[in-house]
Amino acid sequence: MRSTRVMLFAVVGVLTALVLAACGSSSESGSSSSATGNGASVVTPAGYQSSVDESLSGKRGGTLEVLQEADFEHLDPGVTYFALDYTVVFATQRPLYSNEPNSNEPIPDIAAGKPEVSADNKTITVHLKEGIHFSPPVNREVVAQDVAYAIERGANPNVANPYIQTYFSSIEGMPKAEGGPIKGIETPNKHEIVFHLTEPKGFFVAEALCLPLTAAVPKEYAEKFDKSKPSAYTNYQVATGPYMLKNNAEGKVLGIGYVPGKSATLVRNPNWNAKTDFRPAYLNEIKIHLGGTQAVIDRQVLEGKSVVQNEPVVQSAVKLAAEHYKSQLDLSPGAGNRYITLNNKVPPFNNLDLRKAVYAAVDRAALDRERGGTLVTNVATHFIYPTIPGFEQSGGLAGPKVDYNEHPEGNMAVAEKYMKLAGYPSGKYTGTKTVQVVGASSAPEKEDAEIVNQTLKNLGFNTKLTLVEISTMYAKYCDAPKEEIEVCPTVGWIADFADPQTVLKPTFDGNSIVSTGNVNQGQVNIPKINEAMAAAELIKGKEEREKAWGKIDEELIENAVAIPYDWEKSPRLAASNVHGVAMLWNEGSWDYSFTSLK
Amino acid sequence: MSTGAAELLPSGGDALEFLDAGGDIAGRSPLQLFWGRLRQDRVALVSLGFIVFLIFLAVAAPLVVSILGLPGPNVQNLNLTDSFGSPLGPSLAHPFGVDTLGEDVMSRVIYGTRVSLEVGIIGTGISTLIGVVVGMLAGFYRGWIDTGLSRLVDVVLSIPVLLLGLGLGAACSVRGCAKGLIQPGLSTILFIVALATWPYIARLVRGLVLSMREREFVEASRALGASDARIMFREILPNLAAPIIVYASLLVPVTILLEAALSFLGVGIRPPTASWGQMIAAATPIFNTAWWYMVFPGAALLLTVLAFNLLGDGLQDALNPRNAR
Repeated sequence: MRSTRVMLFAVVGVLTALVLAACGSSSESGSSSSATGNGASVVTPAGYQSSVDESLSGKRGGTLEVLQEADFEHLDPGVTYFALDYTVVFATQRPLYSNEPNSNEPIPDIAAGKPEVSADNKTITVHLKEGIHFSPPVNREVVAQDVAYAIERGANPNVANPYIQTYFSSIEGMPKAEGGPIKGIETPNKHEIVFHLTEPKGFFVAEALCLPLTAAVPKEYAEKFDKSKPSAYTNYQVATGPYMLKNNAEGKVLGIGYVPGKSATLVRNPNWNAKTDFRPAYLNEIKIHLGGTQAVIDRQVLEGKSVVQNEPVVQSAVKLAAEHYKSQLDLSPGAGNRYITLNNKVPPFNNLDLRKAVYAAVDRAALDRERGGTLVTNVATHFIYPTIPGFEQSGGLAGPKVDYNEHPEGNMAVAEKYMKLAGYPSGKYTGTKTVQVVGASSAPEKEDAEIVNQTLKNLGFNTKLTLVEISTMYAKYCDAPKEEIEVCPTVGWIADFADPQTVLKPTFDGNSIVSTGNVNQGQVNIPKINEAMAAAELIKGKEEREKAWGKIDEELIENAVAIPYDWEKSPRLAASNVHGVAMLWNEGSWDYSFTSLK
Repeated sequence: MSTGAAELLPSGGDALEFLDAGGDIAGRSPLQLFWGRLRQDRVALVSLGFIVFLIFLAVAAPLVVSILGLPGPNVQNLNLTDSFGSPLGPSLAHPFGVDTLGEDVMSRVIYGTRVSLEVGIIGTGISTLIGVVVGMLAGFYRGWIDTGLSRLVDVVLSIPVLLLGLGLGAACSVRGCAKGLIQPGLSTILFIVALATWPYIARLVRGLVLSMREREFVEASRALGASDARIMFREILPNLAAPIIVYASLLVPVTILLEAALSFLGVGIRPPTASWGQMIAAATPIFNTAWWYMVFPGAALLLTVLAFNLLGDGLQDALNPRNAR
């Protein structure tokens, strides 16, 4: 579970920029078709590069330069959780399952085939490929015990994987695990690993095996680093992917392949066996330069050679690229949703009709224009976003058919209707409570907040608008239930992998509400929906899951629990001589294992 | 620029011939002398005129905006952006263009004058008051009072103001701090501005008082039984008026810039209230496509700060001609 722009810090405690997405499961494998059924092709404008259908072929050789404003958060596969980190981690590490860049369908990576889920949905068996080796200085072959240790160390407080309890808590012994052997993980032989679950959640847990936590880690090498707090393995990590962070003979990466705040350098992994991997790995080297200013970086990339940027493009650069460098602009649908939370628990928005009134009044199209307009956004009509299974089942682009959801530009007549139903005959709010609106001070979140604030004023609310730094907005206010913030205009979410449960359950299940780092900001707690989620969680089978979660999504809209307004189509820029290949499943970040120079 | 009292002498012919004209020698008050010098300084006068104009704009902002036929500063028109969300540029209806919310930039620049002058004048006033009192006490009493207050000044000067501002902004922006004493918005800005600037005046005043407390007129007052308070505030303070006025006038642009910087960092005035610093911050990422959004508030800030600086120089020349440039 990752919320857009930091929220996920809910779990991690730190946050900064946009969080990422992850692997997924979809209906078909392959390139563009994998996402088509979930709306990706519908919302990708014609004439632009798109992560949905770009060619995966390329020319071998060359060095790619990357200009990146922000530093990495965690490059240890046992901890990593952010889109920028994934760009390096998925070029250097191989989990059990991974995604091709243009697909939400995970395919076997170090696994030899699909996971085998038992009939009772409580046992998962995965067989591993042979002939995969760790990079120097370990050099030996990867075995099942390395995957088991990778997961076990995720529960080590010194590693503290942020999502291990969210997705893997049903593995027997996991809830009490602290880094040692876990009873529910068995390795019958060198190339087989078995997971025993305490609940029938095998289908869902199997989907989560594409998370980087399952990337093999050699115990005999890493154990000594994992004893320090925090684990120092990230500074000495070894790779299984086509690239590795440049290191010395002892395996030290820090100060060589990664200089915090300055640079990271990926070189070819000499032990990588191309026959075991689907990655072409065209580039010889990737040099990542950290620092700078996004607006300047964007311009440098548009006018430069052999260079890409890898963070959200500023709005003015989107316009510049669309007008003058169209072929260098890559769009990636499925980069998350954004919505306005209304506090369902406390007055005045514990009143359903009042929430519907605000929903109807908000100009969602204007909110999207602040983010670059229809080229890089779609007006959201529900929470499951394009490319995620369940999107079509919950109404597709049009969304659930309720009158307050049918006017992207906002409709004051519909709003007034619901104001009257809420007990305000004048069509305006006449209560005395001042509504606290807390937004982020950076663009475009600031503009979002101001538009929402003005909309509330137009409906008669007295408001107090406060803009703070985005991590403060989440940590201190929107993610803190005790603050009882009535409106947070700029929260969002990105699935950890392409299952609708990862979009809806953390954010709208009443049982997910916690005292700190609470990502159910609206404190949505509707018993009927909670029960439906609990039942849907256990469903085995893709189509059944899509249908169940799609229905839940509809019910969330019918209860106006929050106001979705944006489905992101994340833009990225590349120099004219770069054939950039973006990761559909990771916010459109460039995939260094597929990108090449022309 | 003024070159001092000599300028007041008639030009041409014998400079002293008026003494033979048989007319009376007119006595002139210090204020007359000051004004006589200041009015010779055209740059200072133009600056003064500009500041008066700014004050008029600030006071009559609603009227001016109405006369110019502009929408109010917080009126959003979300149709005034293109398909990329870029604001539309200058036009007859919006001479300075609009911002990303479709708000009229000219209207916001005019209203932004209020914030800048409020912070500049009130903030400077508060810091001057604190600085004068502290400097006066330290310089007059010397000893442990001087030591204590001087160390306090040192401590305050060592506080990184922008970091403090960012911290207060994060901590106090929603509910306020110190049981509501520090509230987000103008009061927080004034608090930070005053905190950041009073030590400079305190140091200046302390130094002047240290020398002045030994002068004969102070001794005479003391001999006549005047209280310490009377000596400080009725005898010494009037003699410090000139340097304090000069320094305060130069402090105004500093506080205006500080407000702009804090607003730029998102700590200052709360939206939707217009503030030049906030406008410049919002314009930064879209400067490539909407230059007007940065240029006009930026020019307003530049000209205002320049005007106060030039007036301050002029005041210094007029009040203290021996230090004239």
